[in-house]
Amino acid sequence: MGARLFEVRFHGRGGQGAVMAAQTLAEAAVLAGYFAQAFPYFGAERRGAPVKAFTRIDTKRIALKSQIYQPDLLVILDEGLPSIEPVAEGLKPEGRAVINTSLPPEEYDLGVEVECFTVDATTIALEKLKAPIVNTSILGAIARAQDMVPLKCILDAIMDKFGERLGERAAKANLEAAEAAYSQVMSGRCRGERILRKGQQWLPSWEDIPPGVALIVGSKEGVVIGPGSSWQNFTGTWRTQTPIYIQEKCVRCLRCWWACPEGTIKRLDDDYMRWDYRYCKGCGICANICPAKAVEMKRGTKEW
Amino acid sequence: MVVKVISADHAVAWAVRLAKVEVIPAFPITPQTLIMELLAEFINDGELDAEFIAAESEHSVMSVAIGASVGGVRTFTASSSQGLALMHEMLYVPPQVRLPIVMVNVNRSLGAAAGIWLEHNDSMPERESGWLQCYVEDNQEALDMVLQAYRIAEDERVMLPLMVCLDGFVLSHTVERVEVPGQEEVDYFLPRFRPCVTLDPSEPQLINPIVPPDYAMEMRYQLDRAIDASRRVIAEVDELFGRTFGRRYGGLLQTYKMEDAEYALLSLGTVTTTARAVVDELRSRGEKAGLIKLRFMRPFPEKELKEVTKDLRSLGVFDRSLSMNGFGPVFTEVRGALSSSGIALSDHIGGLGGRDVTLEHIREIYSDIALGKAVQDGANWYGLRRRRK
Repeated sequence: MGARLFEVRFHGRGGQGAVMAAQTLAEAAVLAGYFAQAFPYFGAERRGAPVKAFTRIDTKRIALKSQIYQPDLLVILDEGLPSIEPVAEGLKPEGRAVINTSLPPEEYDLGVEVECFTVDATTIALEKLKAPIVNTSILGAIARAQDMVPLKCILDAIMDKFGERLGERAAKANLEAAEAAYSQVMSGRCRGERILRKGQQWLPSWEDIPPGVALIVGSKEGVVIGPGSSWQNFTGTWRTQTPIYIQEKCVRCLRCWWACPEGTIKRLDDDYMRWDYRYCKGCGICANICPAKAVEMKRGTKEW
Repeated sequence: MVVKVISADHAVAWAVRLAKVEVIPAFPITPQTLIMELLAEFINDGELDAEFIAAESEHSVMSVAIGASVGGVRTFTASSSQGLALMHEMLYVPPQVRLPIVMVNVNRSLGAAAGIWLEHNDSMPERESGWLQCYVEDNQEALDMVLQAYRIAEDERVMLPLMVCLDGFVLSHTVERVEVPGQEEVDYFLPRFRPCVTLDPSEPQLINPIVPPDYAMEMRYQLDRAIDASRRVIAEVDELFGRTFGRRYGGLLQTYKMEDAEYALLSLGTVTTTARAVVDELRSRGEKAGLIKLRFMRPFPEKELKEVTKDLRSLGVFDRSLSMNGFGPVFTEVRGALSSSGIALSDHIGGLGGRDVTLEHIREIYSDIALGKAVQDGANWYGLRRRRK
């Protein structure tokens, strides 16, 4: 590394702070004397949805305004993302990866075998910030994974960026998270056994797009199929909490069925309910609205 | 068929009645008001079985029209000037959603230096919204074009909204002889509306959801191709209209004495009538002058224009609005279409804010075109007061 373009791609979920991490890295790079830019890319969905963010660093003025397809450094803020998206796609063979996981690199299957830095950023964030916002912890790990932007500049950028938004106390907690992550990073080579495969995506030619901006490809159990529809998009992977249905308590008032914003609660013939965990985002509205406490939210995503 | 002496606004109302439109959302604005007043009367008297919805703004008018059209019924509305501007946001929905709403815009100047009088600067900016857009010359054409508009817009190869523009006051409040066709003839010409996209509870679908970048570009291209495909349908419908009612308008454009013309004016709207008189004068003196009546701004008749101008030495373009680049929008488009033609092109602006365009102005325009001077650094203005040197 050194006098050349250095490109970083972040993969996270809405709410984890991937965008802030990318911006903070850009600010740190500028503090280190480089030119830098950072930008996000996200869909219409919000919290919990997979998001991408990008940082580009160079010794001269950056003359590119497109996304990054062959990153030098890949940063994964949620260890579950590789199972739903081909996040490692395009990573240069000599590139590196930073991953938020409790596993050592040798046990983590990224899909490409590269030099890898892992850190349990979630545990650090929960301890230091009392919230699973892992961006500053991951920034500490990034300081170990490349040699352009030193830890000091990253810490200064965190102080400046987070201090400005959240105040000095919160900025200091984030600083501690970054420092803790920096010292806890495990390095090695990750595994490359996973097959990088895009989820089934419907990409019609202009002639095959149904006219009228109408999703008329078909429908299944009331869920419409088409571009961006939740039929193709297993939004259940966004969940951090899972509703558990206790049928014995259910009074069949159908309130949860009405209230579910994703239509993931199916009304059975006898008016009892069934959750479709492939799509449930774990928002908890069903548990909240249930007068009989027949729905309980439990930590974890593995119910489906 | 009956002959009536009525305004263009009333001619439009008659066409809407004959087209058996089912939903009419409206908000009052001069000089469109006469259309809605007569339609309200038709409905009140039981002569038109339609739902008249008085909305709280033009933005809501277009929203109601979208809802009605996507519900599968033939929909009509009319507006002008500030009203059309307030609709702007919603105007972009029907083209991409493929809703064949027909709207009459009675041209009236927009914005400060405000007035209720004629200028094309209300409808011209909307030529990029995806609506088909045509301009008419007289009251008969106003009636005929509303009937043609439904036939064009609802053709399964088109399925796009169409805006019929007519000159405020010069047509909207001017009475002329108008042949009002019989219901049977119109029923023959205009089949039942069969929508492309409909709301149907038994077949749920998502209409106009948010579209991610993976699809929006294909949708835009598809819309552009649909607008292009309407060219053929516009020509076919004009021919069918001629066979049914005995009147034809030439589709995208109409020519007058262009066969051996050396120089010509391209105009749109009511000025065309006066220009025709000037061409006759010039022809009686042996001058080889011609006239092109531009009927559609969208689709823009680029190919047809190249064909009818191929033997011209010079072509002037009349504009009743400004593109704020020194020229008018019609000229800007014509120059684009004929950029490699070698014809001396010039822009002629007049009649802004309702200023009357006189026979003398048109004579002046023709003598300027006859000089064959290509445009230099801006348009020629007619009737503009300048400081005496």
